[in-house]
Parts: sequence; C-alpha cells; structure tokens
Amino acid sequence: MTFLIQQTLIYAVPLMIVALAGVFAERSGIINLALEGIMIFGAFAGVLFVNLTQQAGVFSAAKEANDWIALQGFMLLAMLVAAILGALFSLLLSFASVNLKADQTIGGTALNLLAPALVLFFIRIIANQNTLQMYEGDAASWFMIRKANFGFGRNDDMGFLGETFVNRTYLATYICILLFVVLSILLYKTRFGLRLRSCGENPQAADSLGINVYKMRYAGTTISGALAGMGGFVYALTTANCASTGDVAGFGFLALAVMIFGNWKPGNIAAAALLFGLFKYIAASYSSIDINGDGVFFLAELGISGHLYRMLPYLVTLVVLAFTSKKSRAPKAEGVPYDKGKR
Amino acid sequence: MKSKKLLAMLLCLSMVFGLAACGGGTQGTSESPAGGSESPAAGTESPAPESETPSGEAAVDPDSIDDNMTSDDGTYQVAFVTDVGQLKDKSFNQGTYDGVKLYAAANNLSYKYYQPANANEATDDDRFDAMQAAVDGGADVVVCAGYLQEAALKRAAIANPDTKFVFVDGYPLSDDSGNVLTNVAGIAFMEEQAGYLAGYAAVKDGFTELGFSGGGGGTNPACCRFGYGYIQGANAAAAEDGVTVNMNYSWEYGSTFSASPELQTMISGWYANGTEIVFACGGSMFQSISAAASANDGYVIGVDVDQSGESEVVVTSAMKGLADAVQWAVAHVYDGTWDDIGGTATSLGVADNAVALPTTDEAWRFETFSVEKYEELYQQMVDGTLVVDADYTVLDDPETATDWSNVVLNII
Repeated sequence: MTFLIQQTLIYAVPLMIVALAGVFAERSGIINLALEGIMIFGAFAGVLFVNLTQQAGVFSAAKEANDWIALQGFMLLAMLVAAILGALFSLLLSFASVNLKADQTIGGTALNLLAPALVLFFIRIIANQNTLQMYEGDAASWFMIRKANFGFGRNDDMGFLGETFVNRTYLATYICILLFVVLSILLYKTRFGLRLRSCGENPQAADSLGINVYKMRYAGTTISGALAGMGGFVYALTTANCASTGDVAGFGFLALAVMIFGNWKPGNIAAAALLFGLFKYIAASYSSIDINGDGVFFLAELGISGHLYRMLPYLVTLVVLAFTSKKSRAPKAEGVPYDKGKR
Repeated sequence: MKSKKLLAMLLCLSMVFGLAACGGGTQGTSESPAGGSESPAAGTESPAPESETPSGEAAVDPDSIDDNMTSDDGTYQVAFVTDVGQLKDKSFNQGTYDGVKLYAAANNLSYKYYQPANANEATDDDRFDAMQAAVDGGADVVVCAGYLQEAALKRAAIANPDTKFVFVDGYPLSDDSGNVLTNVAGIAFMEEQAGYLAGYAAVKDGFTELGFSGGGGGTNPACCRFGYGYIQGANAAAAEDGVTVNMNYSWEYGSTFSASPELQTMISGWYANGTEIVFACGGSMFQSISAAASANDGYVIGVDVDQSGESEVVVTSAMKGLADAVQWAVAHVYDGTWDDIGGTATSLGVADNAVALPTTDEAWRFETFSVEKYEELYQQMVDGTLVVDADYTVLDDPETATDWSNVVLNII
C-alpha cells in the first residue's frame, strides 16, 4: 500500500501541477497547447542546472557531510531555475498570441515542435549524446528524503504515515501540492484571480471596467509557463533519475487531458491526476502490486496480458474524455485574440 | 471559435492516442540529429606514440582521451559505429569505444565514432549509412558494436571489400551466395560464464531474493547468455548452501536498452517486495535500475564493464573485456595478421581472460564471498571442470525454463 501511494503520487504530482498550469493560461483566455514543450524545456533547464552546479562542486561538501537540508535547498533552486526558464519559454507563446494575435493552437504546436529539437540540439553539444544526466550520483541519493535523515535506522519502523509520506519521498512532491493549493486559492479567492478569470470569459467587459486584458493574459501564460517548467523538472527528477532526453513521455498532453477532464477546476483536476497517476503506476508495475501485503500478486495472477495493463492509462484517458467532454465547459473567450476595437 | 476548441481537443486526443500506440517505454524515440559527431571539439591532441606494441598495454585511462578528435586531413582511420543506446552508456558502447580510443591513441591513429540516425529506432539503412560514412571518411577498420547491425554490416562489407569490419558481439557473415566475407571478424563473448560468476557470487554472499532485468526484449543473444548463466550460477550456489533462491526474470521495458520511468517503477516494485539485488543487463537501463536500487536500499549487479564507480549500490559487475578485445582485433588489421581472424568466429571466455568480475578493492563489495573463492571458481572454469551451458533456448520452453533445483524462477 505504501508503495502504491508513493508511486501514484510520483506520477500524479507532475500531471497535477502541469494541468494547473494549463488552467492558468486558459482561464486568462490563452489556449496553452505548449505544455509538453515547456515541460521538456523546463526539465532540460533544471537538469542542466543540477549538472553544472555539481560540476562546479558547489554542493559536494554538503553531500559528503550528508547535509540533506542543504541538498533539498539545491533541489529547490533547480526547481526555481526550471520555473524561470519555463516562464521565459512561454513568453514566446504570449508574445505570439497577445501581441501578434496569432492563432494560439498553432503557436502552441510550434513550441511543442521546437522544444524537443532545441533541447536535443543542446544536449548533443553538451553531453555528446541524446541524454543529459546528473554529473555524479543519482537522483535518489542526492535528493530523496529518507528515514535515515531523521535518525531512524535501516530496520526501524516509522509507522504507516511516516513510511508512506516521509520515507523515500521527494520534497518536490509536497512543494507542488502546496503550490497547487495556494495557486488554486489565488485563482478563486483573490481580486487578481477574479480579474484573470474574467479575461478568459469576457475580455471586453473586463476591459470596460479598466482591467488591462493584455497584462492579465501575459500574467496567466507566464504563471502557466513557470508551473509547466517546474512540473517538467519534477517529472524528470522523480521518475527519470534526473535525466533530460528531450522527451517527457507525453505528460504535457496527458496534463491537457487531465485539465479538460477536470473541467478547468482545480479540485477535479487533482482527482483526475490521481486517477491517471494510479493507472500509470499499475501499467508500470502490475506484476508486483501487492495491496494487502499477503504475498499474492493479484493483477499478475489474473493472467491478463501485460500489454493491456500498459494500455490502461491511455485507454482510460480516451474513455473518460469521451464521457466527460460533453459536460465540460471551457472558458468562453479562450483561443480568441483580444482586439480592443471589436465589440 | 467553437471549431478552434474542437481542433485543440482533437489535437490533444490524437497526441494521447498516438502515445497509446507506442505503448510503454518510449524514452528516446525523439528524433535525434543524424549522423556522427560533427561537434568541433578542440581536441586535436596527438598522443605521443610511446608504445608501438599493438596490444596497447599503456595504462591510460580511456576517459582521459577525447571522444572527438580532429585529424589534420579530415580522414579517420579507426571508426566505431554505435549500437542502440547511448555512446556514453557507461557500458557496452562506451566499453567498446574505449578499446578504439586506447588503440588509436597508443598507435597515433585517428579515430571517430558514428551514431546511426534515429537513435533507438535506427533502421538497417541508418546503420548502413553510418558504416558507409565511416568508410567514406577514410576508415581502415570499422568497429561495429551489437548483433543488431548484422544486416547493415553485411551490405557494408560487400560494398566495401577493402575495408575491415570488426563485429563485436557478432559472428562471421556470408554473402547471399554463401561465400564467407573475409573482411568481417566476428567477436563474441561467453557471457554465460560472466553471468554464472555474478549469480554464484551473489547467492554465496547471502542474497536470496534476486532479479534480472535484461535488454533487447529477449532477442539479444549476449543478454540471453548473461541471464542464463546468471540463473545457473545462482542455482549452483544455492544448491551448495542448501537454500532456495527466488528470482524475478524480466525483459520488460528493455527492448531499446534505454532508461525509462516505467522500468524504474517496475524495478522499484521488485525492491519494495523484497528483491535484494538486480542484475542490470543492458546499457543505459542501468540508470533506471540503479536509481530504483538507490531509492529502495537495494543492490545492483552491473554489466559489460566495471560499473562500481557509477553508484554505491553496485556490488559487482559481470564484465566482458570489450576494450581489450577491440584492441586485439584492430591490432590484427595493422600488423598484417587480419587473415587470422577475418571471416572466422572468435569466442572469448575465461580462458582468454575476457570475462570476469572486477576484483580490485574498491570494486569488490561482497561481504562474505571472498576473492580467493572467486579465483577458485574461475580456475575451475578455465580448467574445464566447470562447464557453463550456453544454450539459453531452454528458457524459451515454459516447462524447462522454471525447472531449477534451488531457484524459483518468476518470469515476468
């Protein structure tokens, strides 16, 4: 059970935070199809930062001394770098869709095509191959929180809650959940959030009340880019051993699906992300899922082909979208460039 | 406006659908820039030709030799064509290329590596193009790593009869009318012996919950031999000690020899359910497996080269002497004795000192199994008193595959 919850969270959290990134852009009226591209770029930026910092030996002493708090700080810095670079990258989209009034779907697709190519180009130059890894060690030994950090021995039991939510977790997971909550409140309970949302519903009305629609849309897309960039790095850190390959396995698109499935509402999105996370986990390790700990691997013993389990996350996406998309209600003005002269 | 929304929806649906079509581990399917390394690294170092001995005995650290060298006339005499996975996989490709670099540096030759286009999805045409590029680049000898290159290598060898090809993990090839291509030297290893040593040592050291995660989806002969030997070694040691050993044996998520989140999750699942040590048998897969081990306080057995430096979780490595074998083969090109190995199959094992576990102090991380015991076992293999079966086809039959006296084999 502990393992199930941990792995589900590991897959669900990047989805959740990137889907929220989509919400911020779309609520402000910009369709952000570029989530995948921004994730790829953010992952690259974060991994590169980790690699270069390790190479410069900045945190070697902390690693030697097992100073895990400093290492967590290192990870937070990397997340911040990924967020900033993601935000910068998303400015391309804002510029194209706000200033140039370009078609947002095409703009987002262009970024999706640009990001992997650009990232691979740099990785080839830097690492001489198609993968950029950490300079030394692995993600778990540098950034994972373990019970040993709190003075527990290898065989000491921390209790169910401790084993599940403290031992072998990444701080990044909790930062993302916290951010998710804070930003959801920002979107629904603050003046800024209300204004942002109004720009996605009826920008003309918002403008007539003195809200600068362009600024709001820039704000929405930039927050979106920062979150997606950070989500990309968190994905690389927790599931890909902190390596960047110009690929995030379609998580950006899955996040879009999660966003639509969640009806552009944070609560629903969190639930949807957990659902997909669970299925991703089942797909990857159906053969060793032992829910109640009795040594019986139920799913493996059902005798169903492993291919079916591996299809599940995507099948579920299709089925769920087919049933929910009818009821979904996108922000009214999303995808329409705002033109002051048009009423 | 409505249609745009619809378009957006369709687009993302089609992307998701597209993903479903390529199933799990799609790590590294992204289009990679084609061809070899064109990056202008300023590594125009010409190593001093201190040793003229073709054996390349000079104890040079291969990592200190630049991967990219620029020759004065733009031709490269010793060429290397990579297998799937990465050049710097810290395993198969890297070990083979180390041999190229060591020989070339010691003998003042120019060298270059060529990566077939489309990375892990490389077609025979891509591989052939890489080989032809190597030949056109002035190569005297082209070292081709990995048995997947067979079809392309055959074409290239027929098209370029004057160029020598070293087929690592391979075998002699013949043209369509059955004539053996004498410009191809097939070099294979007795991986089953290395696997046996690793499996035996692991069980003797007290591990009873083992795992094997292999690359190539079960079609790569080298990986199959490693795995089969590993089971035999574990079984023999378990029988001697009178214990029963459980082993998870899987080819899942390894078909492209790449690291992937799915592989990492699967192996994490093994460790979480009691597996203590996993044999990471496949290039870059090591990244995922060692990450899973590190996260779960598990252990890993490395492959091809001594991987103890990569992570603390590596207990030992089932090594094969890639760098030595490549140097040995390339030397035959330059000392005029190519006919000895061209067109023939060379199979290197313990007798040639070509497979082993690393026994240096920092690489030997067993607690109870000693180097002396290991040497004893090794000697038995050399003498022929201990023969490791290489016919891994018994694993294809579900009846015989799980028929082990002291190993409960769980094929996933």
